[in-house]
Amino acid sequence: MTKPVLSRFSYPALVWRRTLAGVGVTLSLSWLALLIFAAVFAPFLANSMPLLMLNQGELSAPVLSYLSVEDVVLLGAALLAGLLAMMKQPMAQRFWLWLAGCVVIVLLANALVKPPALVIYDDFRSPPFSTAEWRLMPPIPYAPTDYLRDINSKGLEAPFASQGHWHLMGTEENGADVLSRMIHACRISLSIGLIASGIALVIGVIIGGLMGYFSGVIDMLGMRLLEIFEDIPTLFLLLTFVAFFGRSLYMMMVIIGVTGWTGYARFVRSEFLKLRKQDYVQAAIAAGLPLPSILFRHMLPNGIAPLLVAVSFGVAGAILAEATLSFLGLGVVDAPSWGQMLDQAVKSSTFNWWMAVFPGGAIFFTVFAYNLIGEAFRDAIDPKLANDSEA
Amino acid sequence: MSDVLLDIRGLSTHLQSAGRLVKAVDDISFTLRKGETFCLVGESGSGKSVTALSVMRLLPETIASHPNGEIIFQGQNILALTETEMQAVRGSRIAMIFQEPMSSLNPVMTIGEQITEALLLHEPELTLEQAEQKALTALTQVQIPNPEQRLRTYPHQLSGGQRQRVMIAMALACEPDLLIADEPTTALDVTVQAEILKLLQSLQRDLGMSMLFITHDFGVVSAMAHSIGVMRYGKLVEVGTCSDVLRAPKHAYTQALLNSLPENLAKPTQVVTVPNDAKASTQPLIDIEHLNVWFPIQKGLFRRTVDYVRAVDDVSLAIYPGQILALVGESGCGKTTLGRALLQLEKPTSGNIRLKNQLLTGLSGRALRPLRKYMQIAFQDPQSSLNPRLLIATTLTEPMKVHGIGENQQQRLELAAELLTSVQLSPDHLWRYPHEFSGGQRQRIGLARALCLNPEFIVCDEITSALDVSVQAEILELLLTIRAQRHLTLLFITHNIGVVEYLSDWTVVMHKGKIVEQGPTATVCQSPKESYTAALLSAVPRLKAFM
Repeated sequence: MTKPVLSRFSYPALVWRRTLAGVGVTLSLSWLALLIFAAVFAPFLANSMPLLMLNQGELSAPVLSYLSVEDVVLLGAALLAGLLAMMKQPMAQRFWLWLAGCVVIVLLANALVKPPALVIYDDFRSPPFSTAEWRLMPPIPYAPTDYLRDINSKGLEAPFASQGHWHLMGTEENGADVLSRMIHACRISLSIGLIASGIALVIGVIIGGLMGYFSGVIDMLGMRLLEIFEDIPTLFLLLTFVAFFGRSLYMMMVIIGVTGWTGYARFVRSEFLKLRKQDYVQAAIAAGLPLPSILFRHMLPNGIAPLLVAVSFGVAGAILAEATLSFLGLGVVDAPSWGQMLDQAVKSSTFNWWMAVFPGGAIFFTVFAYNLIGEAFRDAIDPKLANDSEA
Repeated sequence: MSDVLLDIRGLSTHLQSAGRLVKAVDDISFTLRKGETFCLVGESGSGKSVTALSVMRLLPETIASHPNGEIIFQGQNILALTETEMQAVRGSRIAMIFQEPMSSLNPVMTIGEQITEALLLHEPELTLEQAEQKALTALTQVQIPNPEQRLRTYPHQLSGGQRQRVMIAMALACEPDLLIADEPTTALDVTVQAEILKLLQSLQRDLGMSMLFITHDFGVVSAMAHSIGVMRYGKLVEVGTCSDVLRAPKHAYTQALLNSLPENLAKPTQVVTVPNDAKASTQPLIDIEHLNVWFPIQKGLFRRTVDYVRAVDDVSLAIYPGQILALVGESGCGKTTLGRALLQLEKPTSGNIRLKNQLLTGLSGRALRPLRKYMQIAFQDPQSSLNPRLLIATTLTEPMKVHGIGENQQQRLELAAELLTSVQLSPDHLWRYPHEFSGGQRQRIGLARALCLNPEFIVCDEITSALDVSVQAEILELLLTIRAQRHLTLLFITHNIGVVEYLSDWTVVMHKGKIVEQGPTATVCQSPKESYTAALLSAVPRLKAFM
């Protein structure tokens, strides 16, 4: 008896379709898309300087000359991702191309982009900017660190409280616009989540994969290493490093990544122990295929799904770790982050709801969104659930 | 009232799922008399089990519906009973045993607790002691040694055959009028199967119960059935008494099924057998000397090795070019381990394996790689034998690339397409994923993968065991054709004696890691020298008695 062809979809496409089936996931992905959009285009969304300006017959874009290295890197990476999304190459190939492109962009941006060291936002509200014939301002005409001293802002204004200039989410104690700070803070939360988890994932897959494939002595040594790393309290290690080496976002990413791989390694190990006995892996060994091919082509793609679920929870964890650190006043100083904004809310003399609700809500929704995506993904790859819905 | 116990009239069972309607059982009618056995035979997916579950009303009502038909059991239409009334019937008047004795028993309850629980449910007037006494009787009936002790053991302490006996004891404890047995011996070894079948027959004689017996094995059918129903695509294509259906099948499908049994397949004429006397002069392709594969049993804090499981124990064997060597034995006898150790997929504890006089044991992975292309393996389970994430094209061309077969990818793809043609698949199938194929098709692809390096020797590890008989026949014929074309040497690992007789010219019988007997297939199968081989052969249920 020959069965009819079941489906022409590849396995990844099938999983993707199943993941997207729920409403919660669609909302979560929309929320993340919004955050990514805000993070990439932050200088164009919330800034004190005009996007375009016509002064004495001369058209200029002041915002471009003030773009920082990070701004350029993010824009370049997003642009590259957009371009690659339209190409027809296999997913994995496009991912590696994107990664290589990002490295080039980082190097180029560091070499070429030289923004002015000092920005005085008051200048943008005086001539020649204020006297220009025509100018196009960003939707939120305040930079995150623009304290609006020249317009006598007293700080701590509730949303819509003041006449003349609108602050949708109010201002904080220094007089800076909360919404503008929220938008710029997306970057830290998104990047720390993705980069820290990325570092953890790479270490975890390699160590866990070797442990699972070789088992025996290597497995035993690996497990001991893993237990050592599991015993390191990440928060206290972060505190120590901040105390000794000062505050740095990149250092936080590395530390969270280097201490966070143990869970992934356990996942990969158990998957590989199981996969090693699968007939197709045995067949690959019997065919004399080289070890990297067996590990990364025949085993990893079949064992990676539970790992990706774990990663989505890990990203949420990293965001929380950064928020915790900033909340304790040990985060990054110069750029706003959601945790730091919460810290400000707690430290201000009176309770100002708009300073706590917006960053707190953003952290909550982001972590919640990652968890929802993780859960939907876990259900999508579970063959038992899949059979229920398609048998 | 007549002696008809169960009368199924025009029964249809439709299964609804995800918007699709499957006519799992489609308008079938048959009757079962008191004290008789009715065998439902058919290939997988033919609706045999759904019929049994319909009689038990065990199908979830959310997905199953019976648009028409009646199931008259002792004058009552089962389909019209309420759920509470049905509970009184289920277990006490109709009992069921399943295929998998491992998963049918609760692992955290003792055997005694499970039997008495079932008893008390149906006969609440019993005291606990009476129930235990009845459980003991039931266990004695199914001929379990030391029944008093067994009452207090847990399922994992029993062997597969004993578990199935416990299942039967549970089913019989309430003295049902009808026993439904859904493939009760499929998961068991032949010798155990023979015991269980004998037990069921004697119980039926003593208790006068009827049996609805579901199986795919015609050998079992011929041993058990009074009458037979052959099912296909949910329809009953032929019903009749056992001897009528087996001796003179009327329906073309029944004929085809019977003809595809390995013992009925026409032996190919061009079998190249190596004359026995020539063996002394020819060089063996594979030479195994005193091979041991032992798995350590480790215990305690420091994982001290306390003992070994001797999966392969001092085995010496020579395989000559062109031979089809069948390795036979029951589960756990070490035949699969031996096959894998040959390919160095399992590290031998000691002993030598030579391929064309080249020592394989002790070689490093790198040194072994160029030799790998001479020997390949095909597996039993069509589900796990192909990487679900890779296109068939990748699965077939990657080993070629590693071993330098074909100059470029284009050429390798052409070779892969040829391979697919030679296993009777279409070259288009290169661009598909494994989940798009049926079990038989996947086994063909598995064969194509084993062939892609032009090996001289292939280990076929139970490659037809998971397949229906008709598909098995196709695969076996294909294997013989390919073998003749490519002058292959095969090590065919199986537990199916019918397949051995059809295919092989040399048979090796293994028991508890040791080779018990070996010789030309005809000699071993017709006049075995060792008592174990004789016991194994006599346990195989055969159709021959009817032919």
